[in-house]
Amino acid sequence: MFQLAFKDLKLFFTDRRAMLLTFLLPVTLITLFAFAFGGIGKAKNEVKEYDLPVCDLDLTEDSKTAIAALDTDKAVHVVMVTLEQAQEDVKKGNKDCVLIFHKGFADSLLYGSPLPVELQYDEAQEIQVSMLQRALFTTLAMVPYSNRNNAQRMLNKQFDKLIGGGNEQLKAQVHAQSDSLFKSVGKGVEANPKTSSSTKIAIGSDIKMTKLVEAKEENSPGLIQAVAGTAIMMLLFSVAAIGAGLLDEKQEGTLKKLLYSPMHPNNILFGKMITANSISILQLTVMFIYATVAFGLDIFSHVPSLVLMIVVTAYACSSFGVLLASFAKTRQQVQGFSTLIVLVMSCIGGSMIPIFIMPEFMQKIAVVSVNYWSIQGFYDIFWRTLPLTDTTFLTRILVLFVIGSSLNLVALRMFKKNILQIA
Amino acid sequence: MITVSNLKKEYGTVQALKGISFSIAEGEFYGLLGPNGAGKTTTISIMSTILEPTAGEVNIAGYDLRTNPIECKKTIGVVPQEIALYNDMSAQDNLLFWGSLYGVSKGELIKRIDEILHLFGLHERKNDKVKTYSGGMKRRINIASALLHQPKVLFMDEPTVGIDPQSRNLIFEVVEKLHQSGMTIVYTTHYMEEAERFCNRIGVIDSGQIIAQGTLDELRKSSSIKETIAIAFANLTDELFQKISLAWPEVKRFDQTIHFFTSNSKNDLAKIILNSNELGLDIVNIEIMKVNLETIFLSLTGKQLRD
Ligand SMILES: Nc1ncnc2c1ncn2[C@@H]1O[C@H](COP(=O)(O)OP(=O)(O)O)[C@@H](O)[C@H]1O
Ligand SMILES: [Mg+2]
Repeated sequence: MFQLAFKDLKLFFTDRRAMLLTFLLPVTLITLFAFAFGGIGKAKNEVKEYDLPVCDLDLTEDSKTAIAALDTDKAVHVVMVTLEQAQEDVKKGNKDCVLIFHKGFADSLLYGSPLPVELQYDEAQEIQVSMLQRALFTTLAMVPYSNRNNAQRMLNKQFDKLIGGGNEQLKAQVHAQSDSLFKSVGKGVEANPKTSSSTKIAIGSDIKMTKLVEAKEENSPGLIQAVAGTAIMMLLFSVAAIGAGLLDEKQEGTLKKLLYSPMHPNNILFGKMITANSISILQLTVMFIYATVAFGLDIFSHVPSLVLMIVVTAYACSSFGVLLASFAKTRQQVQGFSTLIVLVMSCIGGSMIPIFIMPEFMQKIAVVSVNYWSIQGFYDIFWRTLPLTDTTFLTRILVLFVIGSSLNLVALRMFKKNILQIA
Repeated sequence: MITVSNLKKEYGTVQALKGISFSIAEGEFYGLLGPNGAGKTTTISIMSTILEPTAGEVNIAGYDLRTNPIECKKTIGVVPQEIALYNDMSAQDNLLFWGSLYGVSKGELIKRIDEILHLFGLHERKNDKVKTYSGGMKRRINIASALLHQPKVLFMDEPTVGIDPQSRNLIFEVVEKLHQSGMTIVYTTHYMEEAERFCNRIGVIDSGQIIAQGTLDELRKSSSIKETIAIAFANLTDELFQKISLAWPEVKRFDQTIHFFTSNSKNDLAKIILNSNELGLDIVNIEIMKVNLETIFLSLTGKQLRD
């Protein structure tokens, strides 16, 4: 059976059309989908004038001053919004984030407690947001100093707290000291803002970061969708073609000749399974490497999970191709069936349209497709970054393995019934 | 070497084999002669273990086909009726692949392939893809691929159908060489010339039954027909042929020539000439031929081997 697989692989690699269909077509589709889903080019974006939705819940002189100061930043253009509207926009993906000045901003400023400023964002847009965050640090760090009286007052309040009530004389002395101290610090900051950068960040990082939409790490879901979805759909097409090779052998009479040989007839099917699995693994690997080279998908942090997922995906998909071939009577039948089944499975399984934008009942139906389990598995790896030992991830591996094994068993039965009969 | 007893095969309601029995000795060249649809391929397929018989037994080299198919398969080489090769691979690669299925070691195989390619006159083209080959060349490779494991028994199912005369002669030579080297050969054909030329023994098969069996001489002797008188006429019409065939039931018309099948040509010739004169037929040529397989088949079935 290894001779058979070896022969098939040899034929496969000399068949230019098969090579194009297996590698070039999926690569093209992945590229198109990647652009369509907007999963690429993020890192290269420069922040132009960024429309920043800002929600002012404090509505004090101080919060307004701070917002006005933000607006002067070259990178940021403030758009005032209501909280509900902004959160809605982020959730729908219309906006990346919203900056909220909570009630008590002015007081906190006054008392020197952490500033109730919060950036709520969509984690999928983390790169955009982190760039913005940097701009915000710088500007917001300067807020306490933007009004010298204000800042001086703040400092004195701090000292008052330290000294405690009752000792008015000490307080007056400290105030006098701190006033002169503040003057010199303030001068220093104005003269050379960089030297006080540590102070700035300390204050700037008071911005509370809240994920409104949970997401990936560095790999954008659009890219994962494009790669995993397309790769699995195309894989199903190519395994169907490999399976159809079995019917070619029947039609060409070579199957009969294989049966003359002393090997067990089942080995013919096993040979095809080996071929289908080898080509599947190769195809998936090439697709992920392509996604890495072309779009910067990070595969290197997840090698063991990825390898495991590729292997079981290849196994499940291969068994599908072999099964199809064992059911059909002619190559034409396989082609007809496979196109129909692959398209339907890809559609409901989320190869074409991401599953999470589908209505709930569709998401439930999706579990009958190979595509669903594989794509979710790849999301587990790249987006949810589940560890290899995570039960959700392992469940998907198991499901794919069970799908593959049961389809193979059925294929073996059908092979004996349909293919061997007519030889 | 081979015993086939009471072999039956039904395809639904079609009775392809109605109980066939024959046995073949080691080193024998056995011919299965019969027209299309007689059941030759069905017989070969069952003997090659790829088709399950409805009833009957086959024993090859001491192994029962049902209980020990793998040993049987190792003993035999099969040349199927249809050319079955991988067109996108070279002849050499095809042979390497087919040979590897029989567990021939790679070194041995390469040596064998080299010999066989020389034998079949295809050594120069061995690296060309099979799809660039002519029909005759493909047939030769098709045969070669069954010989790589040096089988004791070779089954050949109509190996010369649709082939150029040059390839045909080459195949004949190879087949004769194989026979001389002691290989047992089962050869099916619907060409009586081939059966007459090669076969030690012939089984005549029609409609799933063996209707006569033996050496060529035995078959000739057992036939009620001894000779064929072939007379060519100048003015044969349908009407006149009608009249002739009333008087002589065992005749066959080929254009202006009538074949009269007879067991006593000396007697019959005079009568035929007399009869022709009465009908006003002008004789152009007379030929008396010894009985051949074609006429034997005709006398047995009333049909011709080829239509
Ligand atoms: N797969 C099949 N299904 C039904 N009938 C068949 C099948 N194969 C052969 N036959 C029938 O069996 C008879 C013998 O066929 P075959 O052995 O191929 O004849 P031959 O090789 O002598 O030309 C024919 O009548 C043919 O139509
Ligand atoms: Mg035949």
